[in-house]
Amino acid sequence: MKPARLASLVVLALVLAAVAAGAQEPYPTRPITVVAPFPPGGVADLTARPVAAAMEKVLKNPVGVVNKTGAAGAVGMQFVATSKPDGYTLLLALSSISIIPEADKLFGRPPAFTVDQFAPIALISADPTVLVVPADKPWKTAKDFVEDAKRRPGQISFSSSGVYGTLHMAMELLSHAAGVKFRHVPYAGAGPALTAILGGHVDALASGPAVVLPHIKSGKLRPLAGWGDRRVAALPEVPTFKELGYPDAEFYIWAGLFAPKGTPEPVLARLRDAVRAAVADPDFKAGMDKLQTPVAFKQGAEFQQFFDADARRLADGVRKVGKIETK
Amino acid sequence: MLETLQNLAVGFSIALSPSVLLYAFAGCVVGTLVGVLPGIGPLAGISLLLPATFGLDATRAIVMLAGIYYGAMYGGSTTSILMRIPGEAASVMTCIDGYAMARKGRAGAALAIAAVGSYVAGTVSVVALMFLAPPLAAFALRFGPPEYFALLLLGLLVLAYMSGGSMLKALAMAALGLLLGMIGIDQMTGYFRFAYGVVELGDGIGVVPVAVGLFGLAEILATAGQATPPDVIKPKLRELLPSRREWKESAGPIGRGTVLGFVIGIIPGSAHIISSFVSYALERKLSKRPEEFGHGAVAGVAGPESANNSATSGAFVPMLALGVPSGPIPAVMLAAMMVHGVSPGPLLIKNQPELFWSFIASMYVGNVVLLILNLPLVGLFVNLLRVPYPILYPSILVFCVLGVYAVNGSVVDVWIMLAMGALGYVLRKLGFETAPVVLGLILAPMIEMAMRQSLAMSDGHYAIFVTRPIAATLLAVGLLLVLLSLKSLVTRSLDWRARLALAEKGEGHP
Amino acid sequence: MLTTDRVAGGALALLALIVLWESRRLPIGSLRNPGPAFTPILLALLLLVFGLLLTALGARTGALAAVGWTEWRHAVAIFAACAFAALALERLGYRATTTLCLAFLLGVVERKGWLFTATFALALALGSFYLFDTLLRVPLPRGPLGL
Repeated sequence: MKPARLASLVVLALVLAAVAAGAQEPYPTRPITVVAPFPPGGVADLTARPVAAAMEKVLKNPVGVVNKTGAAGAVGMQFVATSKPDGYTLLLALSSISIIPEADKLFGRPPAFTVDQFAPIALISADPTVLVVPADKPWKTAKDFVEDAKRRPGQISFSSSGVYGTLHMAMELLSHAAGVKFRHVPYAGAGPALTAILGGHVDALASGPAVVLPHIKSGKLRPLAGWGDRRVAALPEVPTFKELGYPDAEFYIWAGLFAPKGTPEPVLARLRDAVRAAVADPDFKAGMDKLQTPVAFKQGAEFQQFFDADARRLADGVRKVGKIETK
Repeated sequence: MLETLQNLAVGFSIALSPSVLLYAFAGCVVGTLVGVLPGIGPLAGISLLLPATFGLDATRAIVMLAGIYYGAMYGGSTTSILMRIPGEAASVMTCIDGYAMARKGRAGAALAIAAVGSYVAGTVSVVALMFLAPPLAAFALRFGPPEYFALLLLGLLVLAYMSGGSMLKALAMAALGLLLGMIGIDQMTGYFRFAYGVVELGDGIGVVPVAVGLFGLAEILATAGQATPPDVIKPKLRELLPSRREWKESAGPIGRGTVLGFVIGIIPGSAHIISSFVSYALERKLSKRPEEFGHGAVAGVAGPESANNSATSGAFVPMLALGVPSGPIPAVMLAAMMVHGVSPGPLLIKNQPELFWSFIASMYVGNVVLLILNLPLVGLFVNLLRVPYPILYPSILVFCVLGVYAVNGSVVDVWIMLAMGALGYVLRKLGFETAPVVLGLILAPMIEMAMRQSLAMSDGHYAIFVTRPIAATLLAVGLLLVLLSLKSLVTRSLDWRARLALAEKGEGHP
Repeated sequence: MLTTDRVAGGALALLALIVLWESRRLPIGSLRNPGPAFTPILLALLLLVFGLLLTALGARTGALAAVGWTEWRHAVAIFAACAFAALALERLGYRATTTLCLAFLLGVVERKGWLFTATFALALALGSFYLFDTLLRVPLPRGPLGL
């Protein structure tokens, strides 16, 4: 045997030995990818990055964020749903994860993915939406608003991040809880929807509190009520719809970490521990504070319960909206 | 006024401190490197590199992002001129005359004009941004769907001046582009249109893979196999700089492009992409020799490049004055600010003046750094043309695939680029121009959405388009333009189009 | 006679008809409330008109037979290389795919020497990966064994 060939055989044997040894080492042994199904700078991305950085410290392996965007998040979610369930590909999903399969069902198309293709790891943040109107509109309270909507069905307009999008669903849940009808003007994303209400082109918007807070402070927008089960910390004087007698108007923009279904239980347990340690990390807390997003950590059965209830509400909401009529 | 200047001085003192300046410099270099990748313009450049700035403090991060932004924009022009590969949708127009200039040995001049045009446009629009932002921002927000619809309709009229060939062919290509723009989820009702189960088509066909395919890839497919490969261009040093005539011919277009781009840019939404198309059409309309366009007219590089640059700066007006994510690039910048604990919004200027003013100052600085960096690099870039084509084109292909993939991390985009490359190759063989396809693709989803949003706002009453003053004015202008062109059709039998056809016949071309 | 404009016009008209047919499944809505099929149908009708006009008026343009297709072999080879890249990118990873593609184009299509081909292909693939992925953190796909 030539020395060169011998050498390469030795190298091969060493590599194989290393791979075999690696297989016995506890998870994780190589870099982990967290898929954010929305572009950099969006809520999913901005939550994923501090989480990934904090998890890296715990897992002692690189945790990278990859943006797989498209079709309102369906592309990235489908990608993770069909990935190998080995704990090396994770998903940071928002509330829309429960809406997309339901909308697919509504239109009778093969779903891009289904909710039960995922194993929930942990909830990281949950922010109730807040109803805002331009400050020059007459409604001072949510009661004024709903009563006016009752008097003029289909006349009060609202902007949303897109049809069946999160901001649309929040308004639809309210409209069903209060038995009123609004006029929907969809926009291509939460940014344009906010621009539209600031320009006075629509009358109302359901939005995450952080993005409208500066405009509330500057007096351009007026908050009327929130969709949470308790008041938003930054807006203590704004009631919730629950307090006002609309218990079905409950909606959160949340962010949670998922693995593909079939990921081994020890791996999931390790990941849960890592996220728990991550949310306690001071760097992570500081990062989320800057984004003004309250951390709402839930894991295991607790998260599953929250997730199931939320998915049920949203599926119900999508069905109630039905296909958009075009007369 | 005095206060503004004082604040600006403070801003400059921050932006010019060596440790901050270093980041402006690094941002420009990195932005240019990434921008050279086909398909990666300022938006994709900032998005891709945003995470890299998370570790810095707020001022440094923002300054670096401003650098990346300018660098990516200029990197895109470079590939457009040298290789006919649009770095982003907006530089499609640069490809046409810039590349034609490069083939004539004027690549250096085209690059220098693009750099200077971008510099002038960038600087002027930052000045405008600084002094006019608050009043302009309030005006910009009055652009709702009806106004947007009227504006985009005006944009469609631009088509008439975009191609040098037959108007009918240009219209057919535009219709094809508009139809391509129909693919994807209907944003008003949620129906999937023509997606055939491909989830990635949900957001529609991206402009980036289409532009890179129709221009870059088609060019390679058509040239690589020619019996005589394109000559290696050996630029001489004294030919690197524009001639006096070229400077003279670009001055007007740069000025007009700057103003036009800024005005279009401040309107919320993605209309800023069409600024370069509008500028190209305007310059062709105003030119004494419109037949030169498409064959290396320097005005066809200067105008669109300036318009593109000032449009993207104009987009910052509503963001800085009101804290509104008024377009894709401002939205990413806002996110970057939030990560660093800056709460953007109407109170940003009052609450965090040093940050606001160092951002403004760093935009000035970024512009200057880019000019200093790129004028000497023109010589280096032009030398790329010395590489023999059989080695150059495989490398370009690799970068096309890399760039198009990187924007969304999507292989489907690579396939779209391939399909569009094949389409562009065939269209080219049959004598069709492809720029109208790109413009159609950009306009279709926006124009449809704006129309249907307007109707949703008005509960189906078309009166909304004429009762709102801005929309009505824009529509009246459009009508006037159509009538004017009809008049010339009746009174003058020979316009430049006919002259061009005659001239080509005289030269013996088909 | 088959001219370039006639062929192109015919193809565009055909595409328009296909779009019209495919739009049948989507609701068209009304003038006051246009549905998802409204604009596509409008545009397809426009394209149909333009395509037919091109066919009707296209008699004077160049004959299809006169269009030279001498470079078709190269075009097909380049196209195939790109298609391979699209297929392989997420399976073999960026570095392996790029090396193979460049090797094919330089070595087989352009017949450069194998040493040059190998060196250039490897250098460009690894260099661009290092620059964009490692230094600038633009995530590029990795293949098996982390390649």
